[in-house]
Amino acid sequence: MKDILRASIAILIVCIVLFIVNDYLDKSSGKAGSDTVTIFNWGEYIDPDLIAQFEEESGYRVVYETFDSNEAMMTKIEQGGTSYDIAIPSEYAIEKMKEKDLLLSIDHTKIPNLKNIDPYFLDLSFDPKNKYSIPYFWGTVGIVFNPTLLDGQTFESWETLWDPSLRGQVLLVDGAREVIGMGLNSLGYSLNSTNEKELHEAVEKLKKLSPNIKAIIGDEVTQLMINEEAAVALTWSGQAADMMWENEELDYAVPKEGSNLWFDNMVIPKTAANIEGAHAFINFILDAEVSAQNADYVGYSIPNAAAMELMDEEVTSDERFYPSVEQRDNLEVYNNLGLEMLGKYNELFLEFKMSSN
Amino acid sequence: MEKTSRTAKLYLVLVFVILYAPIFYLIFYSFNSGGSMNDFESFTLEHYAAVFSDTRLMMILINTVIVALLSALLSTIIGVFGSLGIVYMRNKSLRNSILSLNNVLIVSPDVVIGASFLILFTMIGVKLGFASVLISHIAFSIPIVVLMVLPKLQEMNSSLIDAAADLGATKRDILTRVIIPFIKPGIFAGFFLALTYSLDDFAVTFFVTGNGFSTLSVEIYSMARAGITLTINALSGIIFIVTLVLVVGYYFISQRGKNPIGMGVRK
Repeated sequence: MKDILRASIAILIVCIVLFIVNDYLDKSSGKAGSDTVTIFNWGEYIDPDLIAQFEEESGYRVVYETFDSNEAMMTKIEQGGTSYDIAIPSEYAIEKMKEKDLLLSIDHTKIPNLKNIDPYFLDLSFDPKNKYSIPYFWGTVGIVFNPTLLDGQTFESWETLWDPSLRGQVLLVDGAREVIGMGLNSLGYSLNSTNEKELHEAVEKLKKLSPNIKAIIGDEVTQLMINEEAAVALTWSGQAADMMWENEELDYAVPKEGSNLWFDNMVIPKTAANIEGAHAFINFILDAEVSAQNADYVGYSIPNAAAMELMDEEVTSDERFYPSVEQRDNLEVYNNLGLEMLGKYNELFLEFKMSSN
Repeated sequence: MEKTSRTAKLYLVLVFVILYAPIFYLIFYSFNSGGSMNDFESFTLEHYAAVFSDTRLMMILINTVIVALLSALLSTIIGVFGSLGIVYMRNKSLRNSILSLNNVLIVSPDVVIGASFLILFTMIGVKLGFASVLISHIAFSIPIVVLMVLPKLQEMNSSLIDAAADLGATKRDILTRVIIPFIKPGIFAGFFLALTYSLDDFAVTFFVTGNGFSTLSVEIYSMARAGITLTINALSGIIFIVTLVLVVGYYFISQRGKNPIGMGVRK
């Protein structure tokens, strides 16, 4: 009995010591004022030095949390329990959050740095006049490939994926919209198509791709491509940039028939407690130098024209990641298709997945 | 005990190699200066330095340990009294239904438990953070503790208690000097299992973290989305060592408990 008591007391003492250490770390990390700004962001999606810099400049204390999918983020915001001041969803999630009335409108007069943003990225279909959201990063969906494992294909056209020589070499992301969208694009249709005939044609076309498919998976794509386990993968530009950073052999291409253009934007959820601080943070991120530093760290494309001038010419002129305006004309942003149509997409995707086994 | 044959030994070695290879592979590359897990360039400690210089990560690590220790301690206390209650319950059908309820909690998916906790906490207005994480960790650890302690209680000979009572022991004495020392191995097993459950849990924790309070499993999960960086390797290495120390500690405690004369009568 005594040793159990002793062990319990030892555990309590260890906990108290750890509490004190934690408190000390909290204070010593230079967190000034008592006002906090709570940020909810994707994992590894900001340079941590910038958070410290923002705390120093603004006097706010930053509480930083991460999520791994738009859906998980939305659930937590909807349920409440934490008052997030900033969240960074993708465009289709912003539309959904608007529908569910989860967002506060943004006061543009408090964000003078908005002028740094390339007008191309403002006033987009998912949020007219940027009433609720301010651009953070953007990118495309395309094909990352390993030329050393291929015989000269360059994937300028989606058609190349159907090449018989790629048998068992292609990885696809497990996303209905990405894959069905690819099928639609390869036939020259819009990836927002709601036309049943077009959709069925797309799925039939996708079924012909089956022999070439190695797997339909999630984020494991990155590691498989880096380790040269597969030659080709359908993926997002930012993920492709990560892969290319790790394995210099890899290359990325957005087929000419068109593809998806995506945006991750900053929003202020309805549950925000520090609206003033949220605006201050948005304005801070839009600062040219801050944005350039962030792009350097994260590796995705930024919409900030002023920041791009400060960045390495080699990066910003790389049309694989900063496609020119003409190239972007070919790209489409996902529309919110509505629950019913999305169900149709999911159903067709499932049909395709079952046929590809 | 019969001597294990050569094939049996080989088989055992093989099983352990398969179990430990990924962990050692991960730790090996945490010392890689190359920045990726592709080829080993040269030895460096920079990734460990990166873990220790990242205050946010350090605080999350400490939070994780505090939650694990406290929740394991509290759930062990609750679980021990719970199993005492179950064992000495007179009504047999009630006892069986409580046991089944306990088992249902063990097999029910973490995601369901996590989502239920999120809904419960937001409904009754508990702010998500340290308290919500601690409470849910205690809650999912209790059934495990019960499962560890019950068999020990059941294998205890009831004449031990009768003898103690005959010799004039009060109820309190019986509990603290007979029952608890006897079930001690079960208590420690329950405690350590609860500890690892808490360290390991992602699904429940994800739902109930908030307001800047997070644990390692949640943090690493969202970090890993952008590809595994070697900081994660270093962190995993540290956790592996800490767990190893805990297990070795447990081993020595249980060795001491095996003293054949000390069978439940040590003070």
